[in-house]
Amino acid sequence: MLDNLLFLSAPIAACILFAGILSYFGNHILSRGIIFIDIAIAQIAALGTMIGLLLGFAEESFSIDIASYLFTLIVISAFALTKFKKQRISQEAIIGIIYCIGLAVALLLAEKIPGGSNYISKTITGNILWVSWTQVFYCLLLFLGIAAIHLYFRKQFVKISDYASKEELAYSLKRLRLYELVFYITFGVVIVKTVPIAGIFLVFILLVAPTTAISLFTNNWKKRLIWSWIIGFLGSVIGIYLSYSFNISNGPCIVCLLGILVFVLAFIKLLKKA
Amino acid sequence: MEILEFMLIPFIACLLLIGSNVYFGIHVLKREIIFIDIALAQIAALGGAIAMVIQQTMEGSNAHEHSEDSFFSYAFSLLFCTIAAILFSLLKNKKIKIPLEALIGIAYAVATAAAVIILDKGAGGDVHIHDMLIGSILWVGWDQVLKLAITVGIIGLFHVIFRKRFFALSDYYLTNDIKYKNKSLWDFLFYFSFGILIVQAVQVGGILTVFAFLIIPASISSLLASRWYSRILIGLGIGGIITFLGLYFSWELDVPCSPVIILFLGIVLLISLVITRLKRN
Repeated sequence: MLDNLLFLSAPIAACILFAGILSYFGNHILSRGIIFIDIAIAQIAALGTMIGLLLGFAEESFSIDIASYLFTLIVISAFALTKFKKQRISQEAIIGIIYCIGLAVALLLAEKIPGGSNYISKTITGNILWVSWTQVFYCLLLFLGIAAIHLYFRKQFVKISDYASKEELAYSLKRLRLYELVFYITFGVVIVKTVPIAGIFLVFILLVAPTTAISLFTNNWKKRLIWSWIIGFLGSVIGIYLSYSFNISNGPCIVCLLGILVFVLAFIKLLKKA
Repeated sequence: MEILEFMLIPFIACLLLIGSNVYFGIHVLKREIIFIDIALAQIAALGGAIAMVIQQTMEGSNAHEHSEDSFFSYAFSLLFCTIAAILFSLLKNKKIKIPLEALIGIAYAVATAAAVIILDKGAGGDVHIHDMLIGSILWVGWDQVLKLAITVGIIGLFHVIFRKRFFALSDYYLTNDIKYKNKSLWDFLFYFSFGILIVQAVQVGGILTVFAFLIIPASISSLLASRWYSRILIGLGIGGIITFLGLYFSWELDVPCSPVIILFLGIVLLISLVITRLKRN
């Protein structure tokens, strides 16, 4: 048992760390109604890696990471900056279009790179069981930096997320764009960092499920934040424990646990005071 | 004339896919439930996976043949689609204040994770993912196209007869003030018919192609028009032309056709964005 605990300690630490940062971002994502943004970002990052490979950078080198980040940041900045123009297509639709065009280009490029289709499926699976302590440590440092930025801008970010579609904000367009840029770039960095480790579905569920569960019952930011952390932490730890005792893969186990919890809560909410 | 022989079936298949998806795409955009088709496709796939496991345990381990087309797994896919349709129409309720898209996303993630647990990462998973994404529209046979055509025909007829109800439902979906009674029932019928179509469409075109056909032509048409009929016509026209060009170029350049069609659709979307911007100035 102790050996197992030791073996599982790094994945558990990673899960708790990821749940911490992703559940926080989830509240913003849900309030803005851009649910699938992380899947689009992950796809763009994978495309960036493939473009880097085509440009001749070595696999898993520093320069290819830079290429991937750079490409992602360009796309996400464009997304952030076009937001405050009057739109006839909703943001979620633009996210969908970015995702499927990104994937289509990746599929075309995959033909040109040996083993190219690996880069497409790699983003889907991920495996948190093999995370190392050094990776966890790097993530911790990175997330602390991002948390500091978000702590500093917390009031502005909450306001912008609450009024995502309205133009009732007291900020000038320039400042608004600056805040948006900071928000989306930090979010992009988190997604690009977490998806290769945990896989797209675990990241997605840690992002969306805890905040959805609590947002069914309240729209107070403080309560949502605290409860989504509690739900995210408990879900990860219990999920890993269940996956260990039933011998199933842990990512999918956490996904099912948190996801089913949301649906149960939604039906409780429906039946309440019916 | 080799190209005609080779490309005729894929072209008809693409036209059927575009035709039905443009219509549903406008609904989906209005409701802001962009990823519903991926979720429905994945939920149906989960049904198919469960059917496969049940069959294998009943028949013993010697039943290794691919029974994807079997009636049993199709019935299970439909059953799961029905459950999903009931879920989504019930959860669209004034009491639930969060966007339905969040619940759709969670359903998608759970369906995928459950399929992974059930199939326990079977061998050749990567290839399967690749096929599931882009399908193999070049290799569809007449029987598949016929099945798709019948499905599109029946569902199309149903939606033509009750078009006013479905239009009204989606037009007032986000504001929640619909005059019709039995709103949930019609909502259920919408998701259910859409689910049946998606199950057939994904088998022919793959998830990515179907998704692109669903939202890109509908987005283009929303830039250029706002009435239902003109939007459907614009979507159909652009979709048809792009499919033709895409298939032709993929033949000439010897690249997979679905990504090429999607890229072309993306380019047309960009052009229409520029046009609308210029018009406004």
